[in-house]
Amino acid sequence: MLEVTNLSKRYPTGRVALRRANLKVEAGEFVIVLGSNGSGKSTLLRCVARLIDPTEGAVRVADHDMTRLRGRDLRQARTALAMISQHGNLVKRRSVLANVACGALGRIGGWRSRFGLLPADELEAAHHYLAEVSLQDLWAQRASTLSGGQAQRCAIARALAQKPKVLLADEPVASLDPEAAEEIMRLLRRLASQDKLAVICVLHQPELAFRYADRVIGIKDGSIEFDLPAADAQRLDISTLYTQRAA
Amino acid sequence: MKSQAFIAEISRTEIGAGSQKRALKFMLVLTISLVLLGIFIQALIVADVRPLDLITSPHGPADFLRRASPPDFSHFSQMLWPTLETVDIALVGTVAGIVMALPLAILGARNVTPALPLYYLARGIIAYCRSVPDLVWALLFVTAVGLGPFPGVCGIAMHSIGMLGRLFSEVIEDMDMGPVEALTLTGASRLQVFTHAVVPSVAPSLLGIGLYRFDENLRSSLVLGFVGAGGLGFQLLTAMSLFQYRTVSLLLIITFVLVMSAERISAALRRRVL
Repeated sequence: MLEVTNLSKRYPTGRVALRRANLKVEAGEFVIVLGSNGSGKSTLLRCVARLIDPTEGAVRVADHDMTRLRGRDLRQARTALAMISQHGNLVKRRSVLANVACGALGRIGGWRSRFGLLPADELEAAHHYLAEVSLQDLWAQRASTLSGGQAQRCAIARALAQKPKVLLADEPVASLDPEAAEEIMRLLRRLASQDKLAVICVLHQPELAFRYADRVIGIKDGSIEFDLPAADAQRLDISTLYTQRAA
Repeated sequence: MKSQAFIAEISRTEIGAGSQKRALKFMLVLTISLVLLGIFIQALIVADVRPLDLITSPHGPADFLRRASPPDFSHFSQMLWPTLETVDIALVGTVAGIVMALPLAILGARNVTPALPLYYLARGIIAYCRSVPDLVWALLFVTAVGLGPFPGVCGIAMHSIGMLGRLFSEVIEDMDMGPVEALTLTGASRLQVFTHAVVPSVAPSLLGIGLYRFDENLRSSLVLGFVGAGGLGFQLLTAMSLFQYRTVSLLLIITFVLVMSAERISAALRRRVL
């Protein structure tokens, strides 16, 4: 479903954040990427989503090479790829329901949506996605009233409204308490197993990774150090990932 | 030179580096205070400040106050139309200013501008509109379109573009870009991202700024009558030049009520939208 080949990123400052990364994620698979701060794991996700342009390499999402597309084609290809980040990134002054329905914008054309309106059928569908993340009762509230965990679940519902094939999650539990974090992880796990999404999640907590992931990928200094089934990765000495590059 | 000698003397009589440091600091504060005092004294001289004239002048405030009371309320009904005119000049000027400032503010906000040359162009226009006072704008428009309330409307609109454009673009620049990024990633078009993420995030702040501007513009529109742009200002000018001071005090009462109520109403509305 998602195939990354020889992906590299060198920032204009000269820092190489990603070196020839290769990875493949199938539908229904839950892959967790571990690594210290600045190891290149966020760069990897941002290159895949084309939030930044990779220096070289290819990213294939559902048979489109994301790195070669621009404009309308890129927008079209992006609908297959949803992303959630550390903070929910919700539009705080809109209702929870409207925020979720916004996930469908890539599919909706027409002048109404250009003037900030959302079609009734998408709002209807948004109720269903909210139910999937157990937020159905809060649909009428402003997004600013949600707690951190609720906001993150709302962001996931928005990602679902996009009807993606691949779900990228950039440290989705970094600012949540342990209980809310577990809930988000269970949700991501279910989306992979039941809804057959390809889920790639960047994480800082190895213990969560081993419990929920199918596969664990370790990144250090921009290179992929290991890519193993969770059970095998657990036997590795993970701490080497977090030692300083100078050491 | 003198202060150095002075410090040298202090350091000889008193012992230790600490006291020397304190003396230096004292000299510094003294010098700055003297300089500031000097600046203020020259300002008093240049501005020709003669406070005694307020009391001794034959046609001074005391005389003025005596002749201005009681306020002449017989002209009240005549003043209703100019009052409405003043409010409406501010209203139309503010709305026109908002309408024109919005697109300029979008072009002039670094995070949403489509191209850098447009950014500089928009910022240039905004800065220029702001640097010319509304009174001067109105004067120019009186020449261009003749006397009456319309040049007042134009003057207020032009100056408002400058004031609002800057504040609007600052609000847009300070916006949380997370939702913009999130919606871009859903495959939404630039315009969709703008209407669904940028507009809902900034609209309440922009409305609040607009209301505040109306409040300021009402006060300006009172003055604009002085250059021939109609409204209460024009009545005030006429009454002054005809020495009808009791009418002047009526006009000042109306002004007070108008400005205070506009302030209260716009503050109350702002509290509701923010």
